[in-house]
Formats: sequence, C-alpha cells, structure tokens
Amino acid sequence: MCRKAPVSSLFINKWLFLLCMACCTTTANTTFCFRQTFGINSILYQRGIYPAETFSRVTQYDMSLQLTTDPKLKTYLTNVVTQLKEWLFDCTVQKLVVVITCLETNEVLERWQFDIECDKTAKDSSAPREKSIKAIQEEIRSVIRQITATVTFLPLLETACAFDLLIYTDKDLEVPEQWEESGPQLIDQSEEVRLRSFTTSIHKVNSMVAYKRTNSM
Amino acid sequence: MSDLEDDTTIFSTLKSFKSLIARPERSLHEVEPAYGRSDLQKLYTQRVEMEEAAERIRSHTSLLQLTQEKQQMELSHKRARIELEKEAHSSSRDLQRQMDLNQDLLTKLRRLEEKEGKANQALNDEMENKKALKRSLEEFHKQANDKDNRHAEANQMVSELKDEVRTLNQKLQIQESKFSTQNLENQALQEQLEMQRKKYQEVNQRYQTLQSSQLSNTESELKIKELKRRLALQEQDSIIVKNMKTEVARLPELEREVKRLQEENLYLRETKENCSLLKEETEGLRKKLERMEKVVEEKLKLELEKEKLGQELQAWENIGQTTGLNIRKPEDLSREVIQIQQRELNLKQQNYTLTSNIRSLEKTRTQLQSEAAELRSKAQEEQKKRENQDALVRRLQKRVLLLTKERDGMRAILESYDSELAASEYSPQLTRRVKEAEEMLQKIQTHNTEMEAQLFKAQEEAGTFKLQAQAVTLELEAVKEQLSSVSENSSKATDEELNSLRQKIEELETERQRLEEQNNILEMRLERHNLQGDYDPVKTKVVHFRMNPTCVAKQQRAEDVEQLRVECERLRDRLRKMEAGGAVTTDDTTLVIPPSQEILDLRKRMESAELKNQRLKEVFQKKIQEFRTVCYVLTGYQIDITVENQYRLTSAYAERMEDSLLFKASGAVGSGSMQLLETDFSRTLSELVDLHLFHQKSIPVFLSAVTLDLFSRQTVV
Repeated sequence: MCRKAPVSSLFINKWLFLLCMACCTTTANTTFCFRQTFGINSILYQRGIYPAETFSRVTQYDMSLQLTTDPKLKTYLTNVVTQLKEWLFDCTVQKLVVVITCLETNEVLERWQFDIECDKTAKDSSAPREKSIKAIQEEIRSVIRQITATVTFLPLLETACAFDLLIYTDKDLEVPEQWEESGPQLIDQSEEVRLRSFTTSIHKVNSMVAYKRTNSM
Repeated sequence: MSDLEDDTTIFSTLKSFKSLIARPERSLHEVEPAYGRSDLQKLYTQRVEMEEAAERIRSHTSLLQLTQEKQQMELSHKRARIELEKEAHSSSRDLQRQMDLNQDLLTKLRRLEEKEGKANQALNDEMENKKALKRSLEEFHKQANDKDNRHAEANQMVSELKDEVRTLNQKLQIQESKFSTQNLENQALQEQLEMQRKKYQEVNQRYQTLQSSQLSNTESELKIKELKRRLALQEQDSIIVKNMKTEVARLPELEREVKRLQEENLYLRETKENCSLLKEETEGLRKKLERMEKVVEEKLKLELEKEKLGQELQAWENIGQTTGLNIRKPEDLSREVIQIQQRELNLKQQNYTLTSNIRSLEKTRTQLQSEAAELRSKAQEEQKKRENQDALVRRLQKRVLLLTKERDGMRAILESYDSELAASEYSPQLTRRVKEAEEMLQKIQTHNTEMEAQLFKAQEEAGTFKLQAQAVTLELEAVKEQLSSVSENSSKATDEELNSLRQKIEELETERQRLEEQNNILEMRLERHNLQGDYDPVKTKVVHFRMNPTCVAKQQRAEDVEQLRVECERLRDRLRKMEAGGAVTTDDTTLVIPPSQEILDLRKRMESAELKNQRLKEVFQKKIQEFRTVCYVLTGYQIDITVENQYRLTSAYAERMEDSLLFKASGAVGSGSMQLLETDFSRTLSELVDLHLFHQKSIPVFLSAVTLDLFSRQTVV
C-alpha cells in the first residue's frame, strides 16, 4: 500500500482538506474542513505515501486538486472525517495530527500538527456565512503554497512509509468503538517549523510540521 | 553623291554665269536705246561687273574645286582609313591567329614535354623493372641453384637413408639373431625357474615347520610369562609377610603408646574445661574494663562540667558584685530582671505617650501652619485690596483732574462762544458744535469708564492669581517643613523600618525577575513541547482510528515477511532434496515453481543436441561400417585396430580365423609408414616377407601376394 518517494508530504494536507470538506455542516466548518482535507490530500500525494497513480484530478471550487482513488483509503478517510466533523462542531477537538512512520524501523519521521482554537461562543450563532469562492480559493492556494515551500527543506522519505491521523480531544470525551487511545507518537530529536495560521469564522488553526533530524546534517 | 552635288553646283554656277552674261546683254539691250553717252560707262561698268562676276565665279569654282578636292581627300582619307582599319582587323586577326597558334604550339610543347617526362619516367620504371626483373631473375637463379643444391642434398639424404635402411636391416638381422639367443636363454631361465619353484616349495615346507615351531615357541613364552608373574606375586607376598612380622613385633609398644595417649587425652579435656572457664572470666573482666574506662571518661567530662558550672556559678555570684546590685541568689537576679523589665515597660509606655504627644503636637503645628498660611493669604488679599483701592483712588483722582480740565476747557470754550455769540451769525452752528462736542465727550467718558472697568478686572484677576500662587507656595513650604519635620522626627525610629522595607523591596524585585525568567523559560519549554506534540494528560487525550493505515501497513508487512520466510524455508528444503537426490521428484507437489522460459529452452536445446549427437553417431557408425565392408570386399583384408597404432589384417581367404598380420605404425600417425610385426601367420609367409618387404619394400605388393597365395591355396584350379 505504501511506497517510498522523495517528495513532500503535501498529500496529507490535501487529504485533510477533503476530509473536512466531506464532513462539516456549517459552511464555516465546511470551508475549514475543505481546506484541511485538501491540504492533507496534497501532502499525501506529494510526500509519496501512496503512489501517484492512485490519485486523480478533481475540480472543486474552480480549482483542480489531487484526490486519492484508493477505495480502502477513501473509506478510512470518510470514517475519520465524519467523526471529526462532529467533534469540530462541538468544539472538542484541540489538535489534529498527521503522523508519517517508516515501516521498516517503526519510527516516526514526520508530524504535521494543526492546533485548532475553537471560538465556542461563535458556534451558537450559526448563521452560515457564505464565503466567496475567491476567498476559499485564496486560502487553499496559500496553504498549498506554504506546503510546497516546506517541501524544500523536508528530508527525503527514502523508505516505505505509512500515515496515521491522531486527534487530540478533551479528556472526558466519549469515543466510539472504532476509535482507541494512542500515544502522541512524538518524534525523537525533531526539528519543528511553524507554518502560517489561518482563521475561519469559528476556528483559528495554527499549523506546523516537525521532522526527524537527519544525522548527516 | 558628292559628285552629283559638285555637278549641281557647277550647273548652278554655270547658270548664274549665264544669267549674268545674259543680263548685261539685256541691260545692254535695254540701255542702248536710252542713253548714248553712257555706253562706255555702262560697258565699263558691265565689264567690271562681269569681271567681278567672273572673279566671283572663279572663286566659286576654286571653292568648289577645293571643296571637291577636300571631299575627295576626305573620301580618300576615309577609304584609306577603312582600308587601314581593314588591314588592322586583318592584322589583328592574323595576330590572334598567330597567338592561338602560339598557344597551341605552347600547349603542344608542354604536352610533348609531359609526354617526354612520362616517357622518361616510363623509361625509368622500365629500367627499374628491368633491374627488378634482373634481380628476380638472379634470385630465381639462386633459388634454382638452391633447389638444385637441395635436390642434391635430398639425393644425398636419400642415399644416406638408403644406407641407413640397409644398416637397419642389418641391425634387424642382428636383433633377430639376438632374439634367438634370447629365446635360448629364456629356455634356460625357465629351467632355472622350475628349479627355483622346487626350491620354493621346499622353502615353503620349511617355512611351515618354522611357523609351527614358532607357535610352540610363543606358547612356551606365554607359559614362562605366567610363571614369572606368579613368581613375582609370591615374592611380594613374602615381602608382605616379612613386613607383617615386623609390625606384629611392634604391637606391644603401640599398646603402651595408646595407653599413654588416652591418659593425656583425659588430662587435656580437663584442661580444656578450665580453659573455657578462664576465657569466660577474661571476657567478663574485659567488659568490666571497658565499662570502667567509659565511667572514667564520663567522670572526666563531669568534672569538666562541674568546673564550668562552678565558674558560671561564680560568675553568676560575681554578677552581684559587678553590677553593684544586692545579688546573691538567683531569686535576687530574677527580681532584678523583673525590675528591669518593669522599668523597660514603663519607659516604653513613656515612649509611646511621648510619641503620641509628639504626633498631636505635630498635628496642631500643622493646623497652626495652615491657619498661618490662611492668615497670610488673607493678609495678602487685604494687601491686594488695598493696593487696588489705592489704584482706584489714583484713577479717580486722575479722572477728577481730567474732568476738571475738561470742565475748565469747556467753560473757556463756552465763554469764548458766549463772547463771540454776539459778533457772528454762526450761533446755531456753534451750538450744534457744542452739542456734538458734548456728545463726543460723553462717549469718551463712557469709553474711559469701560476701559477703567476692564483694567480693574484684569488687575483683580492678577491679584487673585498672585494670591493663589502665594498660597500654593505657602502650602509647598508647609509640606516641605512637614516632611522635613516628619523625617527628622521619624528618622531615628523609622530608619530601620525604611531600610528593612527597602531591602524587602529589593528582594522582591530580584525574586520577581527570577520568577519572570523562569516563567519565560517554562513558557518556551511548553511551547516547544506543544510544537513537538506533547499534551497535558489531565485535560486531553489522543485518539486515532483503530484500523488506521499505519496499522494495516504494519500487518501487511508482517504477513509479507512471514510469507517470505515460509517460502525461503521451502526453497531451502527443496534445494537440499535436489542436492541429495539429484533429480526433482514428482511428489514434490508442495512447491510448484514454474520452470522459467530459459530453463525450458535450454532443455530443448540439450535434447536436440543429444539427438543430433545420436544421429551423427549412427551415421558415422553406418559409414564406418560401410567403408570397412567395402575395404574388405575390395582389398580382401579386414583391417582391425587392436591396440593403439597396431593394425590387424585378416585375409578374406584365410584358412583359420586366427591367421592375421599385425602392422605397427612407426613414426607419425598420418605418415603411413608401417612395420610388420611377427605373428604365427607371418612366420609361415617368411619368403613373401623377404621378397616383397625386404627387397621390394612395398606392403601392398606383399599383401596382394599373400592374397594370391591364399586364394591359390583355397581354390583348386
């Protein structure tokens, strides 16, 4: 299912975008989620976690984006996305993390972390604010630009890798059967880079990427 | 044309001449009847005219002639020119032709030169060829000579070889003779051999007897060994017996020793008990000693303490003496202390009262100061008022002066106006003027009063401001005085408080800074951890989907690894089987590895190659068989190769199957030189051998002779 490739992990961001887009109810949430899934998909595509031939171009909001066609992956994404949508609506999600692990050594190579600060008061006033397509496009483009920029300094993923999605939630939240608790899966000896933060009407998202320091440096 | 023109001019001149001539005649004719006296004149004039005409005509003609000549000359010139040009053309053409010819000749020359050169080269080449040919010829001659030489040498060699052959034949004969002698020797040796055999048999018999005797020998030796061993044992026994005797002799002594030792044992046991008792005593004494030593030390310490206490007591007792109080007992001391404390309390109370008095006094002072300030301010106000009043007074006075002046002036004017009233007619105007003047005056007066009022207000305001300023300065001074008084009063008492407060402030400041730094560091650490993904386990938890891609991928990987391992094992087993068993057994159905294309191809090729080989072998076999049968049929001999380089020929007409001729290839295999080996059959053909092989030296002839001989023997003509 996975293979090695020396490209960035844009796919993940793009995927996250699609993820969230498919799930969110309010338009603000929708746009936020859409941005996220799109970014995650692009991370996964560019980082080469899945082979490029499993991706197809899709037109959304007048932009052509790379989405995966792998059915297993799609089902997984939809599952996670539906759950995430709920939790986002309830503002119980604190962070969303995409973890890339190397299959051979079982160690974490990259960590894309999105800190979500939810404005709980704004949630009640759920008058859907229509964001213009142009604004959405701008935001998507900015995210993609940022992710492409990060590609330049991220170390190459030489070995076969797999990704995982972690969600940091409130302690007392009831998780459904299909979800289980896991460790934070931190990187040992990591370098962190903060990316641009963006806001929707409800959330403020800070994004950053952490990668394992390579010893050759 | 020019001739024609000349002719026309000539004709024209002639005509004119004729006309001239005719005119005078006419004129003559006309004039005659008119005048008589002017005939001569007329004639003269006519002559003159005619001469003039003739001169003119002559000139004309000369002109014409000249022109004609000129034209002719021009013509001739032209002709000459044309001719010259023609000549020039022709000459140029000739020249060109000459040039061409020249060039042709030159080219021809060159070609000829080239040809000459080539001919020379050809000549040279020919010369060289000739020389080469000569050389080759010489070489050929030389080669021919060489060949002749070689031929001669070959001939010599041949002769030599023939000689050699002869010598060899001689040698052969000698060898044969030797062989016969050898045969005789052989026989002799065989006889010897028989003798030797007999001897051998005898020897064998002796050997056997020897062996039997040896056996008996060994047996006897064994017996001897046994006997020796027994002897040794017996000797040992005897020695033991001797030792035992000596030991037995020692017995009574041992008994005595035993008794003695027992007594000693008893004695030692008793002493052991005493020993143990003594040891216990010693231990007890040691402990006592230690205790005593400890006691001694304590005693020393107590004595020291006692001395100290005694000293203290003395000091305490001396206090009474030093302080001058009536102290002998501690109760007195306590009493004194109590007294002192009471005194202290009293003093403190006094202190407090004093301080309260001071405070009250200060308060009253302040109050008084403030009252004083107020009073001062009031005084100043009063002063101001007074000054204002003075200013007012002055103004009023000035006004009064002005007014009086005006009045005076007005009066003067009025008086003047009154005085002048009677004189002039301008009284209404004057009255008007007066009115206007009065109005003006009134206006000026009101203006003046207004200005004065404004001035007054301004002065009042200035005065109030000054008062305020003074009051403020007074207050300031009062506060300063208060502060200084306060500081003076409380410097002694509150210096310490201030210092302590300042110290506290500094400490708090430093602590605050330290805490700030710590806070910053912690915040940074927290930030870092947050970036790395750390979380507060109390508030947050991390969840992920159970069947996430990483999990699935790991499982997949593990499965792949397992599969690969199993396959590896299987392949290894298969390899072992193959190495052990050779061919792959068919019951190895657990692992069916489809043979690769290469292997199949190679197998096919191998099979085809084997088939080819097989076929070639069969073909060769067939051919060989054919050839052999043909040889047998045609030549009458069956040729077999028995041993390497040996050929056995069996004739078709042989009387027995064993009759065969053996030939051996001497020299190189392909050279074809053969030698006949001796066989039974060849001995019977010795004459033919002599004739055909020794003298004629031809094997085919020999063979054919043999065939003929055998054939003749077989068939009966």
